[in-house]
Amino acid sequence: MSGRNSIQVNPSIPASSLVPSSLAALADPPIRQIDAAAMDYFLIELVNTLRESSAVATARQKKVEKEMAEAGLLPPPAPAAPTVPKKESARDSVTSLNSKSSGKGTAVDEEEEAVRVRLEAIGVHVGANFTERLCRDRPLFSETLDAIKFVCKDIWAACWEKQVDNLRTNHRGIYVLQDNAFKPISRLSSWQGRPDAVKRARLYVAMPAGVIRGALSRLGFHGTVTPEVTALPQCTFQVKLPKGT
Amino acid sequence: MATTSKQYKNIGEDLWKGRAEKINAELFALTYGALVVQLLQDYEDYAEVNKQLEKMGYNIGTRLIEDFLAKSAIGRCADFREVGEVVSKVGFKSFLNITPSITHGVAPPPPSPKPDGGASTTQASAGSTFTLTLDENPLAEFVELPEEVLEGGLWFSNVLCGVIRGALEMVVIHFAQLSPSLKTNSSRQVQMQVQVDFISDVLRGDESTEIRVKLVKYLEEEVPIGDD
Repeated sequence: MSGRNSIQVNPSIPASSLVPSSLAALADPPIRQIDAAAMDYFLIELVNTLRESSAVATARQKKVEKEMAEAGLLPPPAPAAPTVPKKESARDSVTSLNSKSSGKGTAVDEEEEAVRVRLEAIGVHVGANFTERLCRDRPLFSETLDAIKFVCKDIWAACWEKQVDNLRTNHRGIYVLQDNAFKPISRLSSWQGRPDAVKRARLYVAMPAGVIRGALSRLGFHGTVTPEVTALPQCTFQVKLPKGT
Repeated sequence: MATTSKQYKNIGEDLWKGRAEKINAELFALTYGALVVQLLQDYEDYAEVNKQLEKMGYNIGTRLIEDFLAKSAIGRCADFREVGEVVSKVGFKSFLNITPSITHGVAPPPPSPKPDGGASTTQASAGSTFTLTLDENPLAEFVELPEEVLEGGLWFSNVLCGVIRGALEMVVIHFAQLSPSLKTNSSRQVQMQVQVDFISDVLRGDESTEIRVKLVKYLEEEVPIGDD
């Protein structure tokens, strides 16, 4: 091995002034990648796995509630009034059970809601941490619009390999991000027809919504993100950020 | 006409370069990590989470193997040893861009009375193993396991075991051999039932991350070559 001169940088001087950017880029380990098809299969199975696990968790929660109700510690769940949603103080996930037992199909909706909440929680975790990694060397965004643009370009490109097609704002804290061919739902179809496919798509956009919310919150902008699917594969995300941030 | 180890490495490398779309592995690591945390909260049982991760991997593996066979030009594997080579050098490389090193195990000697008197070659190699040693685990990039999880016995990357099991169960090995009963050359199509376990994991403080793949038995059906 030929001898190499090591570059010693005085830590008190900012590195950028002494080390050319090409060398600084070498300091980072190469970006590891995995196959996108494998990731897709993983995400599909992730949803199935979460369905089962959320059913188990919900059943256990209901059992505890029932036991507490029988022991007289809790008022029995009245059929008309909704019981108070319980929040488990877990790290990232919030499991809230609204046992509104009015109307049929609420059991199914409850299950879907439980899975949706979990998916969004995973998305928040991924979005927040990934944003941290991406923005390591950048200064904080001062403007809300800059943060939104970062989401539209960098996050979208890293996760879904394209950029947002349309960004609208009312300049009062509401931004609408529109993607005309959103990757997670682009290959979704249902043998029961279009309306069913759209309904299922709503579940699969929960995680991306979480990613956006997590990314923005890690950048310092806390708000809500509401996904909406009306026609596959188009998807819009309505981001509500409080005014004045 | 065995494909050499180096050739498999090149095939794996080419397949990886040819994959159309690639994703940043950090996203994968973050998503998987969040999923494991969620499963731990839902099941509250480490053994159960291990089982669910393996099951999820099984389902992924059954899909991955079709993708793999469609995209790669890998021919039939002659024996279990070659299966191990393909899994480590081509399979892992083309999907995760890692190449675990492989150590082949020795098959235990066959029991002396043969139960059904047939297929002596395949019965003898049931029980063979190979061990994959992962130098880098893309799933575990940001992970540190706390005390109680270590004591609880969680295998964090257990999904990989399931993927291998699912993929190998769908794969067909061909043994061409003379079949005395049919008086023709018959090709035996066998699928493998394997048992895949983690032996050690650096996340648990062990020195290396190792997965052992053990052939439990071949699930076989004889098909005469003349038909179809």
